[in-house]
Formats: sequence, C-alpha cells, structure tokens
Amino acid sequence: MNSDYLKQKRILLVDDEQELLDMVVSILQKDGFQNIKTAKTAAKAIAISETYQPEFAILDVMLPDDTGFNLIKRLKSTFDYPVLFLTARGEDDDKFRGFGLGADDYMVKPFLPKELLFRINAILRRSYKDENPLVKLPGCEIDFDRAEVIKNGKHISLTAKEHNILAALYRNAGRIVTIDALCEAAWGDNPFGYENSLMAHIRRIREKIEANPSSPVALITIKGLGYKLMVEGK
Amino acid sequence: MKSVLKLIRRFVGIMLLSSALLIILNFILLFLYTVSQLPNSQPWQTAQEVADNLFQNDNGYVLPEDITIELKKNDTWAIFIDNATMRVVWRTDNLPETVPMSYSISDIAHLTRGYIDGYPTFTGEAENGLVVLGYPKDSFWKHMWPSWDYSLIANLPKTFLSVLVINIALIFIIYIIANSRLLKSVKPIVGGIQSLPTEETIHIKEKGLLSELAQSINKTSEILHSQRKQLRKKETARANWIAGVSHDIRTPLSMVMGYASQLESDNGLSEDDRKKAAVIVKQSRRMRNLINDLNLASKLEYNMQPINPARQNLVAVVRQVVVDFINMDIDDKHPIAWETDEALTVCLADIDKDLIKRAVSNLIQNCMNHNEQGCHIFVRVTTGENNCLITVDDDGAGATDEQIERLNHSPHYMLCDENTSMQRHGLGLLIVKQIAAAHGGTTGIGHSSYGGFSVKLALPMEE
Repeated sequence: MNSDYLKQKRILLVDDEQELLDMVVSILQKDGFQNIKTAKTAAKAIAISETYQPEFAILDVMLPDDTGFNLIKRLKSTFDYPVLFLTARGEDDDKFRGFGLGADDYMVKPFLPKELLFRINAILRRSYKDENPLVKLPGCEIDFDRAEVIKNGKHISLTAKEHNILAALYRNAGRIVTIDALCEAAWGDNPFGYENSLMAHIRRIREKIEANPSSPVALITIKGLGYKLMVEGK
Repeated sequence: MKSVLKLIRRFVGIMLLSSALLIILNFILLFLYTVSQLPNSQPWQTAQEVADNLFQNDNGYVLPEDITIELKKNDTWAIFIDNATMRVVWRTDNLPETVPMSYSISDIAHLTRGYIDGYPTFTGEAENGLVVLGYPKDSFWKHMWPSWDYSLIANLPKTFLSVLVINIALIFIIYIIANSRLLKSVKPIVGGIQSLPTEETIHIKEKGLLSELAQSINKTSEILHSQRKQLRKKETARANWIAGVSHDIRTPLSMVMGYASQLESDNGLSEDDRKKAAVIVKQSRRMRNLINDLNLASKLEYNMQPINPARQNLVAVVRQVVVDFINMDIDDKHPIAWETDEALTVCLADIDKDLIKRAVSNLIQNCMNHNEQGCHIFVRVTTGENNCLITVDDDGAGATDEQIERLNHSPHYMLCDENTSMQRHGLGLLIVKQIAAAHGGTTGIGHSSYGGFSVKLALPMEE
C-alpha cells in the first residue's frame, strides 16, 4: 500500500527549543515530509494553525507563554486534527492528562528518530485514509472500507471479527501482533480464553487471503507469540 | 482500648477476690473464737454438779470436800434455797454479806437470768431446792434477755446472704467511684501511647491525675511528627531533585540521540564515522534508560510512585513485552525465545501492568547489556502453588556465586547509607525487586540452566 499521500500532510511542530525543532524537522524531511511549520510559543502555534490549517501537530508541554495542555484545548476547540505530545514530562499523570485532552499519542524525550517516525506514520494512517483503499498483500488485496478480499478477481466478504483482526494486523504491518492484542481487537477488553477461537478465525482468514493456506506467506504465525501481516511496500 | 478494659477487669477481679478472701477469713476466725468460748457453759455445769452432790445428813446439808475446794479456788460462793421456805438453808463460808438469805419467786427469776448484787449467778436444780453459784464480779457477762423474734431466726440465712451481697455491691461501687477518676485519666494515656506508632499527631488533654504523663506523650508525639515530616520532606526533595535533573537532561539528550541516529544512517559518511555515531546512539540510549531507572527507583523507594493494580493476564503482559523487543529489532545479537507452555494461556494477577512490563523489560535489557557479544534470551511464564512465575534466562556470561549472593542479599547503593563502593551495580535489578515487592511478590536471582544468568519473579496469583 502506498503511503506517499501521508507525506503531503501539513505538520505543525511546537517546541521552545530551536535546536530541537531543527532536528525534528530534519528527521521528518528525511522521511519525506514536505510541509512543516514550526512555532516556539503557544501564541504563534495558534496563529499558524489559523492560517496554515495543519493536518497534524507535535506539541511540547512546557512552552514559554502557556502549557501544551492549554494549547491542545484551544486547538481542539476550533480544529480537529491529530496531535502527538513530545515532551520531557514523563509522569503518568501528565500522560493521562494529555490523552484525556484528546492527544493521539504521548512520547517522552529522549527518543529515537525511528520511533518518532513510526508513531507519526501510525497516527496519520489511522487518521487519514488512502484515496485508494486497497491494501496489497502477496497474492491478494484487501478493501477495508468494503470489508472484502479481492483474490484472483473474486470478491470474498470478511466477517466483522475477521475485519477487526486484519485491521489490527494491518495497523502494525510487518510487526508481530500478540495473540492477546488480536483477541482484544476481536472481542474487546481483557478477553480470556479466546485463543482457540482466534486460531479458527485466522484459519478462515488464511483461506480467504492466502494462495496456499497451508503454507501462508501473508499472514505469518510467530509461535507462541502472535501473528504478522506482510504488506507489499512496507 | 482493649488494654483499659483489661486493666479494669483485672482491678475489679483483684478487688472481688480480696473481698471474698477477707470474708472467708473472718468466718474462720469467728468460728475458731466461738469454739474457744464453748467452755463458758462450765458455770452452769458446775452449779448442776454442786446441786447433784449436795446431800443432806443429820447435821444438815453437806458438800463433798473436793467440790468445796474447787469452788474456793475459783473464788466462787454457793447457796441452796429450799423449795418449801424459799430461804437459804445451806451456804459456803465465803458468801458475801450482801447476798440475801431469803428469796421471792421474782428474785429467783431475776438471779437465774442475771446477777445477785453484781455477782454473776448460775443455778443448778437439786431435789428440794435450787443451788445458786455466785462468781466474782466482772468474771462473766450475762445475756439477760436472750430472746429473738422467731422470723428473725428463721430468715437468718437469707438476711445474712442479703447483707453479704449488699456489702459486696457497696464495696464494688465505692471502688469504682474511687477509681473512676484514675481510669478516666488512664484511658486517653493508653490511647495516646497506642497511637504513637501511627502517622497521626496525638494531643491528650493535660489534666487529671496523670497530666504529667499526658504532657510527655504529647511532647513525644510532636517530636515524632516533626521528625517524620522532616524525613518526608527530605525524601520528597531528593525524589524531586532526581525527577528535576532527569527532566532537564531529556531535551539535550534528545538532540544527542536524534542527530547521532541520523549520522549513523547517513550514507554520505565514512563507515568509521557512522560507527562512531552508532556508539553515541548506543551510549545515549543507556543514559536514557539510566535516567528512567533512576527516576522510577527513587519514586518506588520513597513511595511516590502510584501503583494502580488491576486484574491482568500475566501471560499476555509478558508476551507483549517480548513482542515489543522483537518488533524494535534493536539488533540481531540477542534473539528472544518464548518458552511459555502453550497450554498456559491465562495466569491472572492483580498488578500494575505498566510497572510489570517495566520490570520484565529491565530483565531482558539486562541480559543484553551484560552480554554485548550476544546471547540467547529465554522468557517464560509458569504457575506455582499460589503464584505466577516470570523467568528470564540467558545463556551468556552469567555471574559467580559470590556476585549472585551479593545481588540477592546486599542492599543497593541507592538504599545503603554506608560502604557504597562495594554495592555499585545497575538500577535495573533494583527496580525489578522494588516492583515485585510493591506487588507482594519476590525476586530470585541465580544461575540459569542455559548456562547464564536467571531471574525469577514470583507474583501472587489471583484466586
């Protein structure tokens, strides 16, 4: 699946340290993001938000003229775009407050560029759907909007649970998703004792997406731990 | 207040016991005294003996010599009053002159009950008259009206018991009233002493019998409170200082880490320069871990870290940590094997999920840090009798018996106020121990069956 359209998103970056702003801009630019504006104060962030119409914001909590918590409140009252907090404040209370105010993620400094990019891409993918909704797997395509698998020109419907399991795997494409996280995606919080049901669903999904379900190449089992979805181009 | 009740019970018990013992003792003494006074019937017997032995011959009435001697020895006189004439027809030589020689019936009645001219008299019945013995004045006291209402005698046991009960009740009431003030003073003192080990400040009213004691307790409480406050203040200041330093260092470290990471993957740089950048990334990651560990360790130590326990499946929690490590793909020198039995899918425990994840991460990270050349890491969850066991093993360099002994039993330098040079080792294991302890669990460090290091966390299983 092509994620180039995400690189076109307008990003607002707010931090009081110019050197940190420069570094994050360079990380983002290196990953292909083109449209980035920075602000060192909350006031400037509001001004940019009104004129630039960002589609994603990275906010620090401690700003010279206000807190990032107040800033997100003001931004969210007018605009509705995803926000990631990138801050040195790592207390649980701060995290809970950030999430409570509508942040999509909360990252504590110091951070590895790779981790920051992974989180930004995950938020953008969740928030902005591709105009082309087809996800390409080895041997088939998935249309999540229509809950269908297109294999050899045939459209095969996915059940709600199969859709949820595949969506959880797709959100972490190329990475292992634990058995428990998949059960949670299908059956809700704290699901105990659904492992066998999950295996049955995985088997049925494989029948739909794999060319040869007995030797899967798209939906891989990681013994004892979970499953991994291999998506082309990722 | 159990101790005050116990004290009252003991006081009352002692008082009742001593009262009962006193009464019993009195009865015994009364009995012994009464028994010793039984010979007081002797004058009556003597009088009867005289009457029985007084005989009449031609010369008149005669008393045998031995009885006469006996009477004289006791300074006792005797007369015999004839029934027919009511006159004295025989007498002993020592008869006082004031004793009348003739008697009316009323005189007889009077002398039988009482005295003749102050001499206590006792009578003995003879064939034709009455023998009267007179003892020296003040030698006997005679009960002249020996009669009681019949009901009094009939109800005597009941009356006696009632009086006894009333007496005991009265003693008890007097005792309680007399001691109530003391007990009233003792009660807050006992309460105060019992509350001293708690965190709250105590203030007892400084009046009553034990006001000085109350003053001392109040003063002790104030000192303890102030010491606790000072200690808390110091601990908070220390934890805040650590939190502040770690906060301030995060932003500069972000830049070191971020730029070094960029340089590491910059193909325009020479291989040598990229290696140097990789070292900076690696070391800055160590610094980040150290900051995080230091902050958490100090908060756990000073009880400033909130623990939010909830019912969780430990298998799922540990599995997520392992998967996170594999997904991070930090390097391929430390492959992690998941060894939990497939049949064990759920092991419920009341835990703070984030803290347990942190503990397991620390254990895996430890294996990596101490085996830079690479090693296999083995993670498994098993169940014990009443607990869930998380074991992280490696087949790396391991540790000597002495090192393991020290890790298991020596205090960490953060917790030790002396000899700090001997205990310096990483904070990772300290945090693991603190997290396990905060969950009521234990940490066991030892040799792994794979040849390296092994740490086992035992956490109480939820019923």
